[in-house]
Formats: sequence, C-alpha cells, structure tokens
Amino acid sequence: MTDLGQRKQYAFVISQLTSREIKRKYARSYLGIIWSVLNPLLSMAVLSLIFSQLFRRSIENYPIYYLTGYILWQTFTSSTNASMTALVDNKMLLLKVKFPMELFVLTRVYTAVINLGYSLIAYAVMLLVFRVTPKWTMLFSPVILICLFLFSLGISYILSVIYVFFGDIKHLYSVLLTLWMYCSAIFYPVEQLHGLIRIIIENNPMYTYIHCLRKVVMYGEIPKIAEFFQMIVWSALAYIVGYFIFKRNRNAIIQKI
Amino acid sequence: MATTSATLQAKDTISSLLPEITVKNVTMQFKRAKDEATSLKELIIRSVRGKRKYEMFKALDNVSFTIQKGEIAGMIGTNGSGKSTMLKIISGALIPTSGSVEVDRKKVQLLTLGTGFDPELTGRENVYLNGAIIGYTKEYLDEKYQEIVKFAELEGFMEERVRNYSSGMVSRLGFAIATARDTPEILILDEVLSVGDMFFRKKSEKRIREMIHGGSTVLIVSHSTSVIRNNCTKAVWIEKGRLKACGNPKDVCDAYEKLKEGEL
Repeated sequence: MTDLGQRKQYAFVISQLTSREIKRKYARSYLGIIWSVLNPLLSMAVLSLIFSQLFRRSIENYPIYYLTGYILWQTFTSSTNASMTALVDNKMLLLKVKFPMELFVLTRVYTAVINLGYSLIAYAVMLLVFRVTPKWTMLFSPVILICLFLFSLGISYILSVIYVFFGDIKHLYSVLLTLWMYCSAIFYPVEQLHGLIRIIIENNPMYTYIHCLRKVVMYGEIPKIAEFFQMIVWSALAYIVGYFIFKRNRNAIIQKI
Repeated sequence: MATTSATLQAKDTISSLLPEITVKNVTMQFKRAKDEATSLKELIIRSVRGKRKYEMFKALDNVSFTIQKGEIAGMIGTNGSGKSTMLKIISGALIPTSGSVEVDRKKVQLLTLGTGFDPELTGRENVYLNGAIIGYTKEYLDEKYQEIVKFAELEGFMEERVRNYSSGMVSRLGFAIATARDTPEILILDEVLSVGDMFFRKKSEKRIREMIHGGSTVLIVSHSTSVIRNNCTKAVWIEKGRLKACGNPKDVCDAYEKLKEGEL
C-alpha cells in the first residue's frame, strides 16, 4: 500500500473505532450524545447550588469557575479510564491488526476529546448566559487543550500497559484519581490553601491546565512563561515516557494477551 | 501446442516452488517470573521481600520450516507447545528473540475462533469495524458488503446487534469477512475448522479450496489430526517449542498419534 493509502486506511480505522466507542457509550441511553452536553451542566448546577454561597467572596462567577475545571478534569479521567482497558478489551483484534496497536489507545482518548467538543458547546452557552465577554486571550485555549490531549495520551499508554499485567491497577487508579481531583482545585479557590499542599497543587499538571484555561477565558490574562513551560514540559514528558513504555512492552503484551 | 503446455507446466512447478513463508531458526524467549504475580499488591510484597525469581522460558527453540506457495500446511502440537506463539510471529504480532520469518505481512489473513466482534454493535457496523482492522478500505467494503452478507447467510439480520446472534452466525460472519479478499493471500486458520455446524464446515472448506485454486497459501493450526489429514498437503509438528517433524501429513500425524498414545 502506498503511503497515502496507508494514511487513509489509518483514518478509516480511527473513525470506525471512534464511532464504535461513541455508539457503545450511549448504547442503552435514550438521549444519547446529548448527555455529553447535559452532564457538565447538571454537575455545574449541583455544585453551584452548594459552593457558590461558600466561596462568594473569593470566586466571582462560580459556575464558570467550576465548569472550566470540570470539563478539563472530565476529559482527562474519561480518556485515561477508558484507555486503561483498551488493549484487554480488544485482545481478539490485536492479533489481526495491520497497524500499530497504539491506535486502540489513541481512539479512546480521541473519543474523550470528541466528548469534550460537545461539552464545549455547553460551555460556550454558559459563557453567554453568565456574561463572560469574549476576549482575545481565548485564542490561547487550543494550545492548552492540545497539551492536555498529549498529557492524557501519555498517561493512557502507561495505564493500558500496566492493566494488561495487573488488573488491580483499576482500583488503585480510582483512589489516586480522587486524591488527584482534590489536588486540582476544581471547585474551591486555591488562594485559601498554604504550605505544602499549595506547593503540590501548583505543581500538579492538571491544575496548571485548568488554571491557565481560567486565566485566558475568565480573566483575560495570558499565562506566565513559567506556566507555559510547565504545561509543555508535562505533556511532552508524559507523552514520550508513555510511548516509550508502550513500545518496550509490545512483545510482552502480545504474549500475555 | 506441445510447447505451450510444457511452458505452462514449467510455470506451475516454478510457482509451486516459491517459498511463501520461510521460518528461519526462530527462537522466542521470555523472562517468566516463577509463580507470577497477578496483582500489583503481590508484586510489591514480593519485590520488598526480594523473592522475585525469574527463569528464562523458551516458547520456541530454533524452529525452521518453509511453506511453499499454494500449499496447505497444517501445524499440530499439544497445548502449550508453541503453536500459537508461532502463529503470532508469522502474523507479525510478535517479534522473535532471534531468527527471522520471511513473509509478506500485508497478505496474511488470520482467522481465529474469537472474532473480536463488538456485541453492542449491529452486524453491519461490525463488518465495517472488523474489515477496517484487517486492512480493507472503505470503498472495498462498500463493494463487497452484499457478497459478505450473502456468504454468511445473514440477509435480514445485519441491522441487528451481534449480541443477539447465535454462535454459528457469528463464526459465519467472521469467516465471510476474513475471506472476502479476492487476491491470492496467506490464510491462517486457528482452530476454526474443528468447530461449527457440519453445514458451515463444508461450506468453509469449499471456500478454502477455491482460495487455494486462486493461488492462496493456507496454514491450518489444529490439534485434531483428522482435520490435518483431510485438508493438508504438508504437516508441521511442534512439540515443547521444538520442531519435531515436518513433511507428509499422514506420516507426521501417525507419529503424533503414536506419541499421544504412548503418553496415555
């Protein structure tokens, strides 16, 4: 097959696998893909009901503050959680494939990104409802999302490999995710925390992505050079390490499966 | 006239002598932990205690054989003898520790019992998903779709979820997709001929025969000697990772059965 034909075939495989993921996800639900729009809104409504009172003084426009964090966090967790089992779920297909098997992980992350696309529709509507004026700094948001995508992909590669050998990583990871979520300042202001925990949060890549998106969307500020640096280094590091681990264990994975 | 038939014959012999799959001194070695940890907890406990012992395990040990173009080769061996490792190496999924396999991977089509169908998707969606994965383009699938459905005898069921299919329907569809290609190819059948209903078995054997006439090479993996005796022109016997015998199916199967009886 020619190079172009090969690439076209990859695109066909990715589109088939992604549409399968989406169909599966909503296989038994009546509203289907609309849930991708409704979910963040409902979550925002619930959290705002309780916390917007509590953080009235420290956070202006609490619903948007929360929603910004929530959709990024949701993208990260749903992509990594789905990718973790990507290789095991497709074990029958893995032997037949005529393309690199990282495509199975990639499509799960890609599915989460498509979901993010739907959530962004809800987000855009909410920005209008809560009168967040459009700012030119918003143009930086794709950079943040790309970094998040690479970061999620790297972590996904690592998790999918571990899951082949140790099924219990699933439980361990869900505990880790809870801890990670509380360290990402999704629904509370980080200013109220001091000391060690503040340092941890500020060096948490997920917090950096969320924080930078809030800056460019809500406050019209450009992230600092250091923050850009942090975002890019984290995503590059996660991607490279993840890809390397995945490649190294290729033979072992096939044998185990 | 005489010269043409002579050249034709010559051509035939040449093409039948072309090696399609050449397995050269293939060794596959794994590091295997003695009573392997299956959970992270165990792994951590053992690592802390320093009780992780490894042994090197040879799934395949210096195996060489060739399969000529147009041959129907059968591979036998007891469970755990290294048959499926060999298959994975030939199909390109595994890279051997040493040695090499010469084969055009683009032509290899692997057919196993587990089809990899998604039960939540319809028959039609699975044809496209599975077809994409084994390397068919969208245009090709569009063109061949009716033919696949017809061969699998699933007219009227394609919009139904595969979850509701019977196991016979699933294996028919799997077989139909894997053999939809019309160019000569290398078909690897892993235990598929020993199951399924009588009727479909006949039909699939007929299809395989058609493919062989079209210039395909077939490698059948089975631990049933009757499947190999009835279908193959050559047999390869792998036992405990080593090549035990290679040649005439009747002789190889006899030797294999003798060993099995001896064990019993």
